[in-house]
Amino acid sequence: MNDVFTGKLVRLSAFDPEEMSKAFTRWNLNSEYVRLLSSSAQPMQSAKSAAKWMEKEIEEMSPANYFFSIRTLAEDKLIGGLGLDVVNWPGRDAFVGLGIGETDYWSKGYGTDVMNVLLRFAFTEINLRRVTLTVFEYNPRAVRSYEKAGFRHEGHLRNYLNREGRRWNELYMGILREEWIELNNHAPSAAEDGG
Amino acid sequence: MRDLFHGELVRITAEEPEARAKSEVRWQRDTEFHRLADGDAAQITSEKKIKEWFEKQAEQGFKPERYPFSVRTLDEDKYIGFFGLWVDLIHSVAWVGIGIGERDFWGKGYGTDMMKLCLQYAFTELCVQRVSLGLHEYNPRALRSYEKCGFRLEGRTRKDIRREGRRTDTLWMGILREEWEALQK
Repeated sequence: MNDVFTGKLVRLSAFDPEEMSKAFTRWNLNSEYVRLLSSSAQPMQSAKSAAKWMEKEIEEMSPANYFFSIRTLAEDKLIGGLGLDVVNWPGRDAFVGLGIGETDYWSKGYGTDVMNVLLRFAFTEINLRRVTLTVFEYNPRAVRSYEKAGFRHEGHLRNYLNREGRRWNELYMGILREEWIELNNHAPSAAEDGG
Repeated sequence: MRDLFHGELVRITAEEPEARAKSEVRWQRDTEFHRLADGDAAQITSEKKIKEWFEKQAEQGFKPERYPFSVRTLDEDKYIGFFGLWVDLIHSVAWVGIGIGERDFWGKGYGTDMMKLCLQYAFTELCVQRVSLGLHEYNPRALRSYEKCGFRLEGRTRKDIRREGRRTDTLWMGILREEWEALQK
């Protein structure tokens, strides 16, 4: 294992509030992006306000929260952000949230690559048993990407979202460690039960 | 599911900073207790300062890597001691620190009852894979109690502690999840 944070198209890198807040503010000017990522109405934030919020989140980080920047391997370009929130340590389950703010990088496999890197980190480094995510029914691109990464549909909250004058479902997807191991033909040592 | 918070002799509680300070101030001054429980040099802290320290802890709120508990007797509801679990979340391992500040309750099975509740919590609620602890070689009463609970001696740090001009070893013990489960049958 040379670098658990490097994939085929992207690498995860340190989350720097100053850099991220600027990119964040720019990405959030795109309402399509905002509506794919956030379930409730997000206010438009100045970079300064976003930076302050990010700094506070980072302070409260680890051992439960992990934040990463997503950069392309080809040009080292910052294209998005990723968060992993371990909500249940005894159950060893975490919520993952990711967003690719640079729309040029949509539908090209970047999201799936990010998720693959994230799952490897989650299952082989933090030793989780499952990873959970939510995704909106009107985001089929993301749903397909997560399915490719191994996530299965587990349920949905009906009529959870309210946008454009109608209701939409929020979908719950999850992947178990055993499923990920099988999918990735991982070495037996990773399958040893240690919780 | 089992009752996690009641044993045969004791129950687990959370005590208020004021109550903890009231007892801790006495326990701190009991040199025999201090030398059995800790490795640091004896010190004297005011009840006020101790209370502030517990209040600061309370303000920090919940952290998943730390589970502190207070212990009261079932009999007379007397606050006699404590135990705390420090969890290594990544590796699913817990370290336990345990003590009975009220010396009248030494050597009567209270510690063993406390440790059993502690292990039950660690394995069935925190779901760790092993529990570790350290103790002084000059604390055979604790060693016997921990052995009764299923801990095995795993190692020792030689001549680790210096007191009264003598050097003594620190013993390390551990119990694995499978071992604890086997004991429950």
